[in-house]
Amino acid sequence: MTHLMEGDVSDSAMTASVLHESPMEPSPFLIPSKKLIMWLFIVADAATFGGLLFGYGFLRFGSPNWPKPFSFSPNIITGLVMTVILLTSSLTMLGGVAAAQEGRRAATMKWLGATALLGVLFAVLHLREWSAMIREGWSLTANPLGGTVLFGALFFSITGLHLLHVISGVIAIIVIAIGFQTKRLTAGHVETTGLYWHFVDLVWMFVFPLLYLLNVH
Amino acid sequence: MTTMNASSGPGMKVYVTVWLGMLGIAAAHVSGGTLLAALIVLSFLEAAIALRYFMHLKYEVPLLFWTLIPALLLAFLMMNQFWADSARMNTFRFP
Repeated sequence: MTHLMEGDVSDSAMTASVLHESPMEPSPFLIPSKKLIMWLFIVADAATFGGLLFGYGFLRFGSPNWPKPFSFSPNIITGLVMTVILLTSSLTMLGGVAAAQEGRRAATMKWLGATALLGVLFAVLHLREWSAMIREGWSLTANPLGGTVLFGALFFSITGLHLLHVISGVIAIIVIAIGFQTKRLTAGHVETTGLYWHFVDLVWMFVFPLLYLLNVH
Repeated sequence: MTTMNASSGPGMKVYVTVWLGMLGIAAAHVSGGTLLAALIVLSFLEAAIALRYFMHLKYEVPLLFWTLIPALLLAFLMMNQFWADSARMNTFRFP
């Protein structure tokens, strides 16, 4: 079902006049190319995270002495707070996209600023948790509880890749917000960045239950 | 006149409703114990909602969904079904 309406967001590079004069046929997906490229990146990135999580699953169930280092308090409570922060940042991102589509630049800045702050808060909580685990003796090659060392390797690799995505996303949001405020970038750029940010949120929906909840002692 | 405008969303009211629903699923994750199947089903449900409403896949042309998502799910299925077998390759006897 198509709900594309004219004038929702004008992507200046994609006007009818350009299309009429262009020797190229329009996209079959009826979206600007930058948005299509972001979708293709997201699918490729989802396969990357999928590969890591499937690998984690096979190794976890293939290891008889798998450690379960987490407890409900503080680990799961912290993880739940991080989940709420990331979900809320998706909501503020949607607010930013809506404001950008309506051309409200000041409101866009506020929404995107809130999103970036929530992203930073998520990263700080994550690094705080990492720091506590490292102090306990966890590392890529060490397991203070005894048994396989694979938990540390997989936990830090997968959450590290996700954290890298969060930090990259915060930087991208700040750059896009400044660009939109100074009229160098369009609402289409804000929406494309929003797609990426929602994807980062979506990945956490798999990382949290599989890496945290399944490893509660 | 043909335009390639970005799709519009359903509005903040719907977004807040979806956000509350996703918070509920996150709470269900924690209270649902450690049954892997339940965790996976809840995660896929949450991902589907995020894709549909937050990432606006519901409001794009259906071709975009059919081009991207089934292929990704097939890749996940292949990882699940065949990846474990790849570990046995060291013991295979190739001709």
